[in-house]
Amino acid sequence: MLCSMIGAMALVAMMAGAALAQLVNKTVLTLDGAKKIAAAAEAKAKAEGARVVIAVVDDGGSLLLLERLDDTQVASVNVGIDKARTAAIYRRPSKVFEDQVRSGRVAALALHGAVPLQGGVPIIVGGKVIGAIGVSGETPGQDEGIAMAGAVVAASFTKQ
Amino acid sequence: MTTLKIALTGIVIIVVASTSYAGPVSDKQGLTLDGAKKVIAATVAEAKRVNVPGGSIAVVDEGGNLLALERLDQTFAASANIAVGKARTAALFKKPTKVFEDVIKSGRTSMVTLGGDLQNFTPLQGGIPLEWEGMVVGAIGVSGAASAQQDEELAIVGAKSLDSMEMAGLTNGNAPLPVTYIESQTVAASFARGAVLVGEGENMMHAARNYMVHASHRDKAGVVEIHEFDTDIVYVLKGSAILITGGTPVGTQTIAPHELRAPTVNGGERRKLVPGDIVIIPNGVPHWFKDVEAPFDYYVVKVGSGREKREER
Repeated sequence: MLCSMIGAMALVAMMAGAALAQLVNKTVLTLDGAKKIAAAAEAKAKAEGARVVIAVVDDGGSLLLLERLDDTQVASVNVGIDKARTAAIYRRPSKVFEDQVRSGRVAALALHGAVPLQGGVPIIVGGKVIGAIGVSGETPGQDEGIAMAGAVVAASFTKQ
Repeated sequence: MTTLKIALTGIVIIVVASTSYAGPVSDKQGLTLDGAKKVIAATVAEAKRVNVPGGSIAVVDEGGNLLALERLDQTFAASANIAVGKARTAALFKKPTKVFEDVIKSGRTSMVTLGGDLQNFTPLQGGIPLEWEGMVVGAIGVSGAASAQQDEELAIVGAKSLDSMEMAGLTNGNAPLPVTYIESQTVAASFARGAVLVGEGENMMHAARNYMVHASHRDKAGVVEIHEFDTDIVYVLKGSAILITGGTPVGTQTIAPHELRAPTVNGGERRKLVPGDIVIIPNGVPHWFKDVEAPFDYYVVKVGSGREKREER
């Protein structure tokens, strides 16, 4: 009898534990956060006279916000989104893949959903990638610098 | 007589030539990122007012290329691309996308094949061309609201906001505005529910300037408000309220850019406001209407003391 009660209690405890494990809390980038990141990137781009597209995606690589600065080549719209998606879904700067291809790992071109082009940077809060910013329009190094200027703003983000 | 005829013919030829020959290049107005952001801001404001479940808003230029996009929190991810497609389709055809949806629905199914050559052709209601001085300069596309109908309603609000900006002379910022006259019945109706009289809706054209006018109405206490840029000039018309100004707000949250709110404040000055009182609350000063004796109606002129600074950010 006692044994079965303990067994039942243990089972309940296990179920409760299992229920907790079914969900995990996740920090999500809001439109407001995306705007703050884009604003910082835009400020840097304007200071440099850079003509770029700034794209911010969520952790699934889907577009949250985009800005094409005046007089930027239109093809950069898709390139910017692609860079951001690459950084978000692979959780690393897109430069990693460009470097791999350049150093001889041509197979990196086959990675699904990735563009191996410098300029995509993950947005990290609390050690987790919650999205990414992609910049396109100028030189690879300048694109990435502008993206970084946006991504670092996330360090100041707190949950409300 | 013959000489005159020849001369006249000459004039006619000159006139025809000057009107039909446009030259190798011509000037064209293009939508800027700033313009696109303002269109999106007007659309988002309307989306929040009507309490939409979500929405992605895309603005493209006249070539159908994306200029700016915002996806509201919780909106399904696929809507971003659909919004771009709707905007692109409206821009490239210079028509609302509902036209295509209707044509296809009424039996011309082969219309969907247009998607073969046109990247991202989206014949779905919710795309509206943006016009400036009678020319299509781009388009807005909305996806993710409660229905296709609502998508389009929001897009129309965005498109109209550009008309208002045109009226406001946003290109040079100094164009004369038409005189705005709001008749007493409209004013009374606005006070009955509380509304923005100038700076939104049909009086949106003033939004480019540094002022707004609110017909404010309160039935109960508000929250602590802090406007980073707006100074409130208040004239009390009806009812009474205790106004707390200054002090230290507790639990401050940012609800919109440069707009902070808090549930309460420590300290501050306390005044009782009655009809006929005027109070000027400079930007940055916390203020709280509490202990309201309803209905409390007050006329507010909001002056954007730092609005130029705001634009620079």
